Amino acid sequence: MLTQISQTPSPRSVGQHVISVRGLVKRYGPLTAVDGVSFAVRAGETYGLLGPNGAGKTSTMRMLCALSPITAGEITVAGLDVARQSRQVRGLIGVAMQQDGLDTDLSVHHNLELYGYLAGLNRRDAASRAAEVLQFFGLSDRAGSEVDALSGGMKRRLAIARAFMTRPQVMVLDEPTTGLDPQSRNRVWEQLTALKLSGVTILMSTHYMEEAATLCDRVAIMDHGKVLAEGAPDELVERHAGREVAQIRVAAEARAGALDALRSRGFQTIEVGAVISVTGLDGGRPELSGIKGLDGARVAYRPSHLEDVFLTLTGRELRDE
Amino acid sequence: MIGIRDQGIPQRAVIAGVRVRSVAAVWLRHATIFARLWRVATTWIFIEPFVVLAAMSLGVGRLVGDIQPGVSYAVFVTPGVIMGNAMFHAIFTSSWDTYHRVSHGQYDTALTAPVTVTELALGEVAWATTRALMTTVAVGVAAALLGLFDSPWAIGMVLAALLVGLEFGAFGLIFAALSPNTHVLSLVFTVVATPLYFFSGGFFPIEDLPDWLEPIAWALPLTPGVHLSRAFSTGEFALSHLWSALYMVGFTIAVFPISAALMRRRLIK
Repeated sequence: MLTQISQTPSPRSVGQHVISVRGLVKRYGPLTAVDGVSFAVRAGETYGLLGPNGAGKTSTMRMLCALSPITAGEITVAGLDVARQSRQVRGLIGVAMQQDGLDTDLSVHHNLELYGYLAGLNRRDAASRAAEVLQFFGLSDRAGSEVDALSGGMKRRLAIARAFMTRPQVMVLDEPTTGLDPQSRNRVWEQLTALKLSGVTILMSTHYMEEAATLCDRVAIMDHGKVLAEGAPDELVERHAGREVAQIRVAAEARAGALDALRSRGFQTIEVGAVISVTGLDGGRPELSGIKGLDGARVAYRPSHLEDVFLTLTGRELRDE
Repeated sequence: MIGIRDQGIPQRAVIAGVRVRSVAAVWLRHATIFARLWRVATTWIFIEPFVVLAAMSLGVGRLVGDIQPGVSYAVFVTPGVIMGNAMFHAIFTSSWDTYHRVSHGQYDTALTAPVTVTELALGEVAWATTRALMTTVAVGVAAALLGLFDSPWAIGMVLAALLVGLEFGAFGLIFAALSPNTHVLSLVFTVVATPLYFFSGGFFPIEDLPDWLEPIAWALPLTPGVHLSRAFSTGEFALSHLWSALYMVGFTIAVFPISAALMRRRLIK
């Protein structure tokens, strides 16, 4: 019997939220990788899942792309239930997972063309679309290259380009710049910005604060399978870390006393190595010199950033893995 | 700048829940690589079995003489060599190539497209079968040129190769799905393919085996392929050849769902 896959609705026709995740749980045997995660991504938004390795970002994304069964909870993409309509969902989104998953037996352009054909383009469209996408991602001159001849940054861009073959309105990118050198990372950032400007909704994960602050309209900070805080990067910084942070370098023997003294005066403090950070400074710079143990300590002020939010919420540095 | 067109996935044919495009795309991927590597590919497809055929007919065949009244050893052994090669090509493709595609994350990539594991597995079987057919045609032509067929029915060996390709294409996937590493994966040759190659009636009549081994040899999945293709090479048919064909169809239908389920278990976690 010959039937047809039904036409899927476009995200724009399904209200404001393109991606909606509710009470998501993933267990691998005794391990709970995702522990009740909820968030929603609006059309055209770039949304970041920010957290260290093991926070549950990849598991969340794999479930969202129907690459992994959902233990509990619900995910909808463009109004489609991922658990029940996984084929339609995958027809709608472009996915680049952390492992580039490139076909090393094929040339660069064959990687794109054959993926496009698998995803449903006809062969002529797949070829012309591959040329377009290669140009967009700055890989045109490598069209005939073997995949193994590409640099790490180029491979990552090719993986993202492949996800873009089917003109998806939603893209899911797991750690798109992890392992890249700063130059390649900038290149990927530029291209993700261009994708965003062309109207694509992007869900991405990262453990780089700067990346989240630069690219994302909103972020969810994740740790141990839970969302700790959610909002626009600036808003999160202001809410959890204040405008400025004072970093105080105190000798080791005086540190415990200084911390006690600061806390007793109501300061929000975090101890990171040899440095005590005082966060939540909104109304100017307080007088610290009279406080016990801080005499002669070096104090430096700097604007707060997302790293301080993570520190405040978890007591750990994000970059410690 | 690339514009975003407001379009869903294109409509595609689906037969019994299987999207035809997914199967075709896996096949096309393999065919593309094969076309790029055709010089090397020709070696495994043609030269190796040709060498075996020549050795059997010119070397061993001279020592053995007629194996049955009026049947030279070379004529006897040819269908066995051809089916054995069809099996090797199919099982190698579906076990070895699929294993490597899984471990390099290429299956994860494929599954981001609107496809199912069953469809990808069917694509692997389709390509494995194609490989079985290619080697059969190549060696078959060589055998015909060497005068090793007694009957124009020999062309029907393509059908036997199709069935052998389906059987071992489906069977090889089990090894791709279960092997934790290439050491275990290589057992597909030492434990499965090589014993089948020699004990499926290709190189000596099954009737010459000890009595207790005979029924086991008849039950092996390559035996019906050899039995059927020997009928095509001689032009002498019996009802048993129909059973052979049905056995191969049944084997494929029984094994494929197991392979697909094991592949799904390996991939979807």
